[in-house]
Amino acid sequence: MTATMSPILAARKVTKTFTNAKEQHVVAVDDLSLDIHEGEFICLLGASGCGKSTILNMFAGFIQPTSGEVLLHGQAIVKVEPRCGMIFQSYALFPWKTVRGNVEFGLRMKGMSRAERRERVADFIAMVNLRGFEDHYPAELSGGMQQRVTIARMLAADPEVLLMDEPFAALDAMTRQVMQEELLRIHQQSGKTIVFITHSIDEALLLSSRLIVMSARPGRIKAVIPNELPVPRHIAVQFSPQYGELKSTVWSLIESEVRRHGAAPDR
Amino acid sequence: MSAVTDVANERPTGVAAEPTATAAPAPVRTRRPARLFAISTLSVLFVLAAWYISTDRGWVSPVFLPKPGRVVSEALANLANGQLGKDIWMSTQRVLLGFVLAGVFAIPLGIVMAVWPPAKAAVAPFVSLLRPLPSITWIPLTMLWLGIGEAQKVAIVFMGSWIYILLYTVESTKRVDPLLIRAARSLGANDLDVMLHVILPGALPGIIAGLKVTLAISWSCVLSAEMIAAQNGLGALIWQGKDWGNLALVLVGMLCISIVVLVADKLANMLERLLLPWERHHRT
Ligand SMILES: Nc1ncnc2c1ncn2[C@@H]1O[C@H](COP(=O)(O)OP(=O)(O)OP(=O)(O)O)[C@@H](O)[C@H]1O
Ligand SMILES: [Mg+2]
Repeated sequence: MTATMSPILAARKVTKTFTNAKEQHVVAVDDLSLDIHEGEFICLLGASGCGKSTILNMFAGFIQPTSGEVLLHGQAIVKVEPRCGMIFQSYALFPWKTVRGNVEFGLRMKGMSRAERRERVADFIAMVNLRGFEDHYPAELSGGMQQRVTIARMLAADPEVLLMDEPFAALDAMTRQVMQEELLRIHQQSGKTIVFITHSIDEALLLSSRLIVMSARPGRIKAVIPNELPVPRHIAVQFSPQYGELKSTVWSLIESEVRRHGAAPDR
Repeated sequence: MSAVTDVANERPTGVAAEPTATAAPAPVRTRRPARLFAISTLSVLFVLAAWYISTDRGWVSPVFLPKPGRVVSEALANLANGQLGKDIWMSTQRVLLGFVLAGVFAIPLGIVMAVWPPAKAAVAPFVSLLRPLPSITWIPLTMLWLGIGEAQKVAIVFMGSWIYILLYTVESTKRVDPLLIRAARSLGANDLDVMLHVILPGALPGIIAGLKVTLAISWSCVLSAEMIAAQNGLGALIWQGKDWGNLALVLVGMLCISIVVLVADKLANMLERLLLPWERHHRT
């Protein structure tokens, strides 16, 4: 079926080369092609430094490929693309805006009235469990709380595609599980396309409809694994034999990459 | 959703824990400043005592250094006849006018220079040429153009201040985190939104820091202008004291300058806290 549908997001023979401070060329992404269809939940897995964030940055329009092209609805992404919302690995909250000011930013940019904004924003703040912190500044929050603000900020802006760069990395196990379930619910209800980077195989198996394992630098696609675990998924899916099988498949793919590269993914 | 409410129920304890956690280190922090404050006080008292004893015993001739008592009585006399108040007010007026004009001119220009390279290219040569010139070097030209009235004093303050404000503004505007600009654009911001919501607030702390440094420089500008040609103002007061051989008056003038600049700095700090609420409670 997916073969006949045109992809919402696509990378066509994309290569990205950076020149670092020492004038050396670093190939971050090498000749990568990928089709992502509407409503898919893609998880990108791969060793640290293999180019995952670089791919997401190209989909968001922050950087342009050195060669090849990235497409949204078949059109090249040539500048920052608000239809692809981004959750940054490093939060990128506005320090001078309160939690509320940050979360409502996208709605404000759309010209929504103050009263309407307040109402919508309250829901998202409640969703990420930050009620009572509306008037706090990011500097007053813990890392995990800041991360939840970025999640609420992106969801409130309601983009078509959600690009998420390790969005749950700074959360404690308990909150992480809550946020994972919340994200699954949002995905199911809205049918939004999600591209999600994670270092956790368990997280990827729980969330994704398709897993993409990348090879160590230069970033290429090593394997694409459809995730056929039953939906709607609950954390208990981890106890099924099907899950165990899939996990060992993914693990062996990643392990060989980490070995080949000589170092474990460092953080 | 049920899981969310579960964690939400735990939240009140989390909220309650936060203030106590931040309040706890406070006593530790106040103890040290208290001791340091005592040291500062002792050090000042020591110097005052040395001044008093050395002039009282005649170890230092009053021609070189008047007794502390003379300085106090000179200050009181000039306060009583309104002369000191008037001089302080005249100097303050000149500083404020020149300083505000410099800010109004240099802050927008600095922001434009930081975000639009052609503007920087156009202005940079003049900045390089004018920056090494101390404000007193402008006295001959400004006198020729503006006479010796108020406009000339204000012009000296302006010429001595605007470049610093400009440099601080350019630097702090350039330092705004580009990631935040990306984030704003990704959330649908246009150029104007980026300017208003990201670049301006991002640069503001640096601009205010620059204004505080520049305010003290503006004061030194007005004083040198007043020493050379003025009927009133603290600079003129000091120069009169020198002409009349009244060293106590000179010291009164100098002390007033220190106090006024100190007060101005305190006011600026209060204004800064008001304008930058997000910088107020940085976690340490
Ligand atoms: N702006 C840049 N300038 C130079 N090199 C860069 C730049 N951005 C990324 N790189 C390089 O490109 C490679 C891929 O980086 P990227 O951030 O995409 O990795 P990643 O897969 O997201 O890693 P991690 O899991 O640690 O976040 C790295 O080797 C990095 O050093
Ligand atoms: Mg990354």
